[in-house]
Amino acid sequence: MIVSKKMKKLILDQEGWTRKMFEEGLRMKKTLGEDKVYDFSLGNPDVEPPPAVLKALVDMLTDRTPGMHRYMENNGYESVRKEIAEYLKTYYGLHFTSKHVFMSVGCAGGINVLLKAMLNRGDEVIVPNPFFWEFKNYIENYGGVVRFVDTKEDFQLDIEKVEEAINDKTKAVLLNSPNNPTGIVYSETNLKELAGLLYNKRKDGKEIYIISDDAYKKIVYNNIKLPNLFTIYDLVISVTSHSKDLALPGERIGYIAISPNIEEIDLLVSGLIISIRALGFVNAPAIFQRVAGKFQDNSVNIRDYQEKRDLMYNTLIEAGFECVKPMGAFYMFPKSPIKNELEFVMQLQREERILVVPGRGFGKSGYFRIAYCVPIGKIYGAIDGFKKIGKRYIKKG
Amino acid sequence: MAISKKIAESMKSSSWIRAMFEVGEGLKRLYGEENIFDFTLGNPVIEPPEALKKELIRIVSSNVKGMHRYMSNSGYEEVREDISKFHKENTGLAFTKDHIIMTVGAAGGINVVLKALLDPGDEVIVPCPFFIEFKFYIENHGGVIILVDTREDFHLDIDNIEKAINKKTKAIIINSPHNPTGIVYNEKELKELASLLMEKRKKGQRIFIISDEAYKKIIYDGISFPNFFHIYEDTIVVTSHSKDLALPGERIGYIAISPLIKNAQALIDAAIFANRTLGFINAPAIMQRLVGKFQKNSVDIMDYQKRRDMIYEILIESGFEVMKPMGAFYIFPKSPIPDDIKFVRTLQKHHILAVPGVGFGKQGYFRLAYCVDLDMIERSRKYFNEVGNAVKRES
Repeated sequence: MIVSKKMKKLILDQEGWTRKMFEEGLRMKKTLGEDKVYDFSLGNPDVEPPPAVLKALVDMLTDRTPGMHRYMENNGYESVRKEIAEYLKTYYGLHFTSKHVFMSVGCAGGINVLLKAMLNRGDEVIVPNPFFWEFKNYIENYGGVVRFVDTKEDFQLDIEKVEEAINDKTKAVLLNSPNNPTGIVYSETNLKELAGLLYNKRKDGKEIYIISDDAYKKIVYNNIKLPNLFTIYDLVISVTSHSKDLALPGERIGYIAISPNIEEIDLLVSGLIISIRALGFVNAPAIFQRVAGKFQDNSVNIRDYQEKRDLMYNTLIEAGFECVKPMGAFYMFPKSPIKNELEFVMQLQREERILVVPGRGFGKSGYFRIAYCVPIGKIYGAIDGFKKIGKRYIKKG
Repeated sequence: MAISKKIAESMKSSSWIRAMFEVGEGLKRLYGEENIFDFTLGNPVIEPPEALKKELIRIVSSNVKGMHRYMSNSGYEEVREDISKFHKENTGLAFTKDHIIMTVGAAGGINVVLKALLDPGDEVIVPCPFFIEFKFYIENHGGVIILVDTREDFHLDIDNIEKAINKKTKAIIINSPHNPTGIVYNEKELKELASLLMEKRKKGQRIFIISDEAYKKIIYDGISFPNFFHIYEDTIVVTSHSKDLALPGERIGYIAISPLIKNAQALIDAAIFANRTLGFINAPAIMQRLVGKFQKNSVDIMDYQKRRDMIYEILIESGFEVMKPMGAFYIFPKSPIPDDIKFVRTLQKHHILAVPGVGFGKQGYFRLAYCVDLDMIERSRKYFNEVGNAVKRES
């Protein structure tokens, strides 16, 4: 066989629903016309980088200083890491220095490098369910085992279930808040309970890390505050990217931020350096490191996202769907009116030309995910479709 | 412990590199940067071609919408189209955009290919001396590295390779022009290798050649580079623009899958999947757009050839035994004493920083990376002469 058995199985098992829907959508768009299809399947926002970012990029490239495109230290430019550490210091109120910052090839690259550095074969990582499917691939890349833990009805962490899942092999809990696919933000109380549980385990000699995927950390809606995980628990490693806040997803730039409370910092950084080399990333792209360093304070235009969220949420509720109101990111995760959500998603696609992703693509059947990071006109265009399908499936009972 | 046992082991076994690096840094502080001759790093000082720099500015100033967004995991269609045309012209083979996958450098590309190919326990043959990272790349995906010694002149020893092949052998990694020796394999030996592998194929075993062509455009004296795609069907080329366009920090390269590979689609799908799930997602966007247009370009090879000639001359006049490099920007002289780590320490005393051969799996040699300022090479002459004389006195 031309590819490894493992790979073949992976591809057959889980060739992501996201991608499948994407291709089906492309076909529909080609035959029916772009404007007749309402595609909510992809988390690829249609926003442009801020003009200041684009200007800085041109300025940097016009600068004649030699050496701008060479290799640098594997963890990134010292000057950039300093700039980011300054920002983190203000943002989290802890003593971050340049050594606590490790530049990565986006958030996905950062999580892979981190897991490679941390996991022994057979080590377990707890992931609250529903979850971003790629986490499973990332963990299994390094011989780790994913331990899924169902969240509560409102998608907050079920601490008792987390406790049941912990055993001698548990190395980390992988959180993603604001969450893909639910849009939930874990509450401060919820996270403090989790921290309490992990501190308790520490008394038995068990060190469990929290890896926090903070890719959506700047997309949090009005009246919601993202709790400061770094002050809630000590063994925290945050991984983030500038795909969303600077709208640079295709450029693959992000970083790992290691809590100053982690005493084994030097060991961890050395491990990360070996991992980033071994996996072939080598370093984060040079010029975008420089860009990222300058724009840590940049925020996302929350108003636009919030307007879209409100419109989408209200549409679903009026159509009779059951849905937890998102607090951040740009996803929502409504209940499917019928048990087999795959069938429902297919109907939605065929009859109303609305593309969404079935919940099983996130480990949770009976739900579906809407990515509403689209032009608002698309949401308006889909209102009738949602209402019609709601009438058919829900109002009839 | 925060880190895995395996990573901790890797750190321990490579601790001498760190130690050496620190001695070097110490020397630089003590004598001043300009008085230490650092030949340890393959980080070229040569700048990207002027036309490329201009094009890059043009691209980012054009403000085309969507330029920094995600694209398909294999990269932009039009870029892959450009690159496939280049390979089609070069080889006459039916390359299409589907045979090209844009990657985060060659290192990223090799990881993607290995992840797609290897099951735990599968073996990958690597001619030795070798670029030590290959070991990491293979082991990342549960593979086993099988090192095969090359001949005295660093050319392939086909008999040794044949002996190393067994049922578990899945691939062989060839790197030409070669790091650390600067050798370029000739057509004859590659054809011998190909016929060996084809024999195995007749018996039902498929062995892939993974050709790391990161230094392909840096070849001296008009030596021709044999095209693997013509020599062997099951060939996967991985390359980067770190060296030919001097963009190492930007992490841009690609995988080219031979159109002659049967069932190539399964391999292509697996590679795209691996690119995504290893967390690369896609190669950096604007660099993709840039390099599509520069497939035929290269930094000026004469810049490197001048350096090669000078360092070779210095080594010969200082009494070292060394193969003249045919490409890349490394040279791999014999250490005058069997203990290469000890000899590298001696070099340090004479202000020269080099990497011992054990760092490439080959004791009794040392590597110099001469992608440094020409002036620095000239200034190092005196010190190499000194070391040469000291060695003579002792023997």
